[in-house]
Amino acid sequence: MKNSLLRLCAAGAVLLASLATAVAADSKLVVAMLPKSKGNAYFISCKAGADKAAKELGVQLLFDGPTDSNAAKQNEIVENWITLGVDVIAVAAENKEGISTALRKAQKQGINVITYDADALPDARAFFVNQATPEGIGQSLMDEAARLTGGEGEFAMIVGSLTAANQREWQKHVEARLKEKYPKMKLVVVRPCDDLKDKAQSEATAMLSANSNLKLIMAICSPGVPGTAEAVKQAGKAGKVKVMGLGLPNENRRYVKEGVTDSVILWNTGDLGYLTVYAGAALAKGELKKGAKTVKAGSLGTFQIAGDNILLGKPFIFNKGNIDQFDF
Amino acid sequence: MSHVTPAPGNSRPWKARLLSHEMLLLYVLLAEWLFFYFAGTTTNRRGVVVGFGTWDRQFDILRHSCEIGLLALALTPVIITAGIDLSVGSLLGLSAILFGQLWHDAGLPIPLAIAFTLVLGALAGGLNALLITTLRLPPLIVTLGTYSLFRGLAEAITRGSVTYTDFPESFLFFGQERWLGLPTQAWIFFAVAAAVWLLMHRTTFGRSFRAIGLAPEGARYAGLPVGRRVALVYVLAGLIAALAAIIYTARLGQAKADAGTGYELFAITAVVLGGTSIFGGTGSVHGTLLGVAAIAVLKNGLACLPVVMRMNAAEEMSGLLTGALLLLALTAGVLPKMLSKLRPRRHAPAV
Repeated sequence: MKNSLLRLCAAGAVLLASLATAVAADSKLVVAMLPKSKGNAYFISCKAGADKAAKELGVQLLFDGPTDSNAAKQNEIVENWITLGVDVIAVAAENKEGISTALRKAQKQGINVITYDADALPDARAFFVNQATPEGIGQSLMDEAARLTGGEGEFAMIVGSLTAANQREWQKHVEARLKEKYPKMKLVVVRPCDDLKDKAQSEATAMLSANSNLKLIMAICSPGVPGTAEAVKQAGKAGKVKVMGLGLPNENRRYVKEGVTDSVILWNTGDLGYLTVYAGAALAKGELKKGAKTVKAGSLGTFQIAGDNILLGKPFIFNKGNIDQFDF
Repeated sequence: MSHVTPAPGNSRPWKARLLSHEMLLLYVLLAEWLFFYFAGTTTNRRGVVVGFGTWDRQFDILRHSCEIGLLALALTPVIITAGIDLSVGSLLGLSAILFGQLWHDAGLPIPLAIAFTLVLGALAGGLNALLITTLRLPPLIVTLGTYSLFRGLAEAITRGSVTYTDFPESFLFFGQERWLGLPTQAWIFFAVAAAVWLLMHRTTFGRSFRAIGLAPEGARYAGLPVGRRVALVYVLAGLIAALAAIIYTARLGQAKADAGTGYELFAITAVVLGGTSIFGGTGSVHGTLLGVAAIAVLKNGLACLPVVMRMNAAEEMSGLLTGALLLLALTAGVLPKMLSKLRPRRHAPAV
C-alpha cells in the first residue's frame, strides 16, 4: 500500500512537473478573449483574425471558452483570468446579466473589459465591438438586392417572424432604403417562415407561382436563405429569380456554388476578432478612452465609434468568388 | 472479508492511521498545492503577484467548490448504502428554476422561496426514495430516470429559453460576497459538511448506513429499518441538491435550466476519490471533502500554469488529469491486495 501510493505520488509529480516550465517574467500585454463556445466554427474564424492582430501588436492572446455554450463556465473562466491578472478581457456574452457580475469584478481590479459579438450590460464593460447595426444590415441587403436586379422590378421578402424585434428592425431599414434610393423597385409580398427551412421553402414556392414577375427573393433569417434557394431550384428558376439574404456561408455554400443563391450577407468574423484585439489593446495602453470617436485597427484602418459601440461597419457579402475562404 | 477489520475509533496504531486512504489523499493534496504554488504563481507586467499563490485565488477555489462539494456530501451517505444518485445535477437545475419561478413569477419573498425550494428538493429526493425502497428498483436505473425527468421538467418549465435574473443584492450576497473573511457560501458548505460528518460518524444512523451498504439482508435481520434508512439518504440528497441550487443561483445571479449539468459525475468522482467504496459499506465524509479539494485544486491550479494557458486548454487538461488521478487512486487501492494474492502464503490459514 505504502510503496504503490508513494509511486503514485511520484508519478503524479513527474506528470505535473512536465507541464510546468520556468516562468520567464512575461512583459507582453495579455489579452484574454472569451467566445460563447470555443468549438463553434463562427468563433474559430473570429480567433483567426484575433491571432493575426495579436501577432502584429506583439500581445499574448488567450482564447478560451466553454466547449458548449455554458454561461456558468464563462463566469468561471473570467474569474480565472481575474486572478491571473490579464490586461484585457474581451467577452462574447452567453448571458448578459450572469456574465456582468464577473466583468464588474474584473473592472474593479483594474482590468480593461470589452465585449464583442454579444454585449453584456453597459456598466460592466468599456466598449462593445458591434458587428452590425440594424441600419447597416438593412442598407446592405437593399443595396445588394438593387445591384442584383439592376435597380428595378418586383421582389419578395421572407422574414423569420413578423414579430421578432431584430427582424422587424432589419425589415424597417430595408424598406427605408428602398423608399429613399430605389424608386423603380417594388416589394410585393412579405411572408414569415417561423425560422424553419421547410416553411421558407413552401412560402417561396407559393410566391414563385403567384408572381411571375418576381425578380428576386430576399430572406432575412438564416434558415430562410437555403429554404428559398431550394424552392427556386426545384421550380427550375435558378438564375431567373435571384436569391439572397442574411445567413452563414456553410449552410448556403452548395446553393452559392450551384449559382442558385447569388449573395449571402453577414459580417466578416475574422475582422471582428481582429478589431476586438486591437480595440482591447488600445484600451489597455490608454490610447482608447471613453468618448473617443474613432479607433485604429492595423491593416483594416480606422473604425467609427458611436457612443460606446465600436462599429465593425458594413456587413460582408459572401458570393461565388469568396465563399470558399470562410468556414462557419 | 478474510482479514481482521481494525477496531473503529482511536485504537488503530499511528502507523496505520498515517497511511490510511484519507491521509494519503491529504499528502497528494498538499503536494498538488505546493506544486501549483511554485509553478502557477507569477508576477505580471504591472508587477503584481498573480496566479495560484494569491488569496483571491484560494477564495475562488473555495467558492467554486461549494456546489459540487455539497452534491458530493449528499452522495456520500447514498454511496455508502451501496446506492447511487445520478439525478442530483438535474435536480440542481430543476430547483434553480423552481426557485426563480417562486421568487419572480409567484412573487414570494426570497427567504420563503428558498424554504419552498428546499422542501421541493426533499420531495424530489423522496420520489427517488419511494421508487427505490417500495418498488425495490435498482438506484442506478431509478435515478437515471429522474436524471432525465428533472432536467426535462426544468427545460419544459422554461421552454429552454427563460432565464431568471435581477435577483436582489441581499440574495447575491450569499454567492458573490465575503462574510467574516470567507466567501459567504463557504460557511453554508462547512455547516452542511459538519452536519453530515456528525450524522455519518457520530450517530447510530451512520453506522446503520454502513451496515446496509455491506449487507442489506444482514442489516434487515439485525432489526434495522432498512427501507426507512435508505429513503432518508435520498431525501437528504434531494434537500442538499436544492441547497446547492440556491447557492449556484446566488453565485451566478441567474437561474437557467442548464444549471449544474454534469455536476453529478464530478461529485461521484470526488466521493470515490475520497475513498468511499462504490459497492457501499465503507467511506468517510472527511475523505469526500479531501476528494473535492484535490479535484478543485487540480482544476484551478492547472488554469494558472503558463504552459496550459498558452495552449488554451485548461478545461480539457483538468478533465484529463482528474480522470488520471482517480484511476491511479483506484489502482493504488487495489494493487496491494492483488500483490498479496500473488505472493506465496507464509502462514498456514487458521482452522
